[in-house]
Amino acid sequence: MIAPTTTNTPQRLQRNLLRASGDQTSVAQVAPAESRPALSISNLTKSYGGQVVLDDLSVGLQQGEIVLLRGDNGAGKTTLINILTGNLEPDAGEIDIAVDQSTESFRFPRKWWSSLNPFQHFTPERLAKAGVARMWQDVRLLPSLDLSDNVAVASPEQIGENPLWAFLKPNAWRRQERSISQATQLVLADLGIAELSNKSPDELSLGQSKRVAIARAVQSGARILFLDEPLSGLDARGMHEVLSLLESLSSSGKITIVIIEHIFNISHIMKIATKVWTLREGKIFTERPEDVRRERSCDTDFQHIIDRLAGDAGAVVNLPLVNGATLTQVAPAHVQDLDIIFEVQDLVVHRGRRLVIGEIADDGIRGLSFKIARGQIAILHAPNGWGKTTLLEAIAGLLPVSSGKILVNNRPVDKMRPWQRSSAGLSLLRARDNFFATLTVKESLEIANNSDTESLSCFHKKRVSDLSGGERQRVLTNSVLGNRHLTIGLLDEPFSALDPKRVEELTETIMAKLDLAGILIAIPSTVTGS
Amino acid sequence: MNYALHLMIFMSIYGIVAASLNIVSGYCGLLTMAQASYFAVGCYTYALATTKSGMDFIPASLLGMVIAGLMSLAISVPAWRLRGDSFVLISLAVQQMLFSLFQNWTSPNSEPGTWSNLTNGTFGLTNIPKPSFFGMQLTDIESTAALAFGALIVCMLLSRVLLRSPWSRVLQSMRDDELVTRGMGKNVRLAKIQAIAISCAMAAFGGALYASYVNYVDPTIASLDESMAVLCMVLVGGTGNFRGPIVGAIVLLAIPELLRFCAMPDTIASNLRLLIYGLILILMMHFRPQGLAGSYRIS
Repeated sequence: MIAPTTTNTPQRLQRNLLRASGDQTSVAQVAPAESRPALSISNLTKSYGGQVVLDDLSVGLQQGEIVLLRGDNGAGKTTLINILTGNLEPDAGEIDIAVDQSTESFRFPRKWWSSLNPFQHFTPERLAKAGVARMWQDVRLLPSLDLSDNVAVASPEQIGENPLWAFLKPNAWRRQERSISQATQLVLADLGIAELSNKSPDELSLGQSKRVAIARAVQSGARILFLDEPLSGLDARGMHEVLSLLESLSSSGKITIVIIEHIFNISHIMKIATKVWTLREGKIFTERPEDVRRERSCDTDFQHIIDRLAGDAGAVVNLPLVNGATLTQVAPAHVQDLDIIFEVQDLVVHRGRRLVIGEIADDGIRGLSFKIARGQIAILHAPNGWGKTTLLEAIAGLLPVSSGKILVNNRPVDKMRPWQRSSAGLSLLRARDNFFATLTVKESLEIANNSDTESLSCFHKKRVSDLSGGERQRVLTNSVLGNRHLTIGLLDEPFSALDPKRVEELTETIMAKLDLAGILIAIPSTVTGS
Repeated sequence: MNYALHLMIFMSIYGIVAASLNIVSGYCGLLTMAQASYFAVGCYTYALATTKSGMDFIPASLLGMVIAGLMSLAISVPAWRLRGDSFVLISLAVQQMLFSLFQNWTSPNSEPGTWSNLTNGTFGLTNIPKPSFFGMQLTDIESTAALAFGALIVCMLLSRVLLRSPWSRVLQSMRDDELVTRGMGKNVRLAKIQAIAISCAMAAFGGALYASYVNYVDPTIASLDESMAVLCMVLVGGTGNFRGPIVGAIVLLAIPELLRFCAMPDTIASNLRLLIYGLILILMMHFRPQGLAGSYRIS
């Protein structure tokens, strides 16, 4: 799936990289420096309230490697990445980072006197200066800066960042600013989005914003990149873009990449990974990619879920929608008579002036129409930027609809407020910003008007923010599908960040709801492998 | 004519203070309630420096700026860890502390301006000299207006340079997402100290201008009402660019003056002024939350 690096992207980025590091060798001469260590961790320990997450963990990383870090939900992947990027202090252990010619070492637990020195703290900025950068799972581009500033701000050692020099040396910083902005323009051009350089990051597709985030990390001079789920939520094109960027970065031999990825996308990462770290019971087991590839062949993918939902005698219908999206309607065998409970008629949604849902036809704008029956599951797979999230949010009443009708149980709901729609039986799980961090699990279930407060009772007293990614997703799906009035559940990427066991559980939860309701699931279009 | 010049001087002074608040509130996203107390630091320092040691305008106002810049650590160090509501409360506490300092640093037995009676309490300091440059005093209102307007222009230009520099880009990215900014290796603590110190020093410069024009300072200029008034200017005018606060200062100072021409008794007009202020704020928040000329919405 990964095409050889045909565009000029890799070369340019590599050139930027070399220029940044002051290396004069040409790209062709750079050989991967396999033998030099970039990062070594020894005896790292971290526990939360008595629960040991990382247990005496030791591992090393060579320059130019691409490592896949995997582990079940709650195994401590995020904890490890938080520690290695300076966002969390470990209880004990040693971390050594060797980048270019300099080496930074950190020893834990720290002696009491070192905590008195404000310049010696273990902080993200210190590790960033040492050459470590992180791409967050939810990308986190800076919304009020335009794209070129989003990349430019990361450049290290800017003269104009000191307000005194901003006054006194205007020519110096303007000159530097010009060269930074040229470099930024080149990077954006390499990513194929030069024309968007004055736009806000909201206008990018997810794949583009992930690449901008990676470019930003490179611009900051980072030599070790930690990427938290770089492929999640991406369609085939976005994945290809991100993977070829990663491959070209590592091929310079100067950049080391650690990737956390969840189950559906591991097979894509395996195409470029040179090493696999599996996190299990607080320890890291290093494996060769070949072994993992073999093991992967029997793995879950989305087609399996569809087959399971449909059963042997179920019906699967693929309905093509506008702009390359498909609606797969799965009806399990026992659903005989199609009792339509949810219908979208000729729906058109704009965001600002941009038409998102609907297509321009000869006689005006043609909207989107589809139906879901009781007991049916509809899976909407569409490329990034198609408007899946917009569609679901418009149905739930969070965004205004330009024209068209939404019927739940043959009752029009499009004039209703979001909370009225919820009582009418619509229930939405958003892909992000979907939980109240300070509420406990019990409170979240109750506030979601959940009829089944007994389930998940083992978590009730925990705060939602303290749960691991997979546990949280489970609580959220339960609270959304537990809506007392549930007629149609709308799930935006519910399977992201789940391990196979959790995927299984979620499938069970969904199937248990099908007696009463229909479900609409939105996923990016690669995941089915179709 | 004098009336128009008077109005112009006030608009210039408040324009400077509003522009200074914009650096903290608009670019760092930290809503501070303490701006009037740093304005007052500038006023008092100017008053004491000119009356007690006969300094000229420039050294006296520079002294005020330095003192205010140092005292700004009181809000910038807490801002390392706090933002949002907690930071508002800290700034409110600093505002109240400075206010009570101005009000209570007094003793009936000593001269105003001496160490034991530094601020002369609620009576305030009087007889502050008009601005003088190298021994030349600006006594007429025309030259004072020219000074104030010139000062506004200089402050605008300086803040324009600053707010278009890479420094302001760091401030904005810190406002958007502090953790990401730290992850890019930026020293956000230093940036907060710098931004708040520059802002407070600029407010103190406005204070020095005010003291030199009005010739009298008392603690009411450091009251919470003053802070709120400046904050209203920034909110109405808009934050996140350098012209918004000036627009706000002009609009909010012009409204009560317009009411003068409505032939209303003063008692009604002054109450009506507050009512109109409130109404404007509510309408603005509802229909134009980014302000008249702003580009960022304080949340």
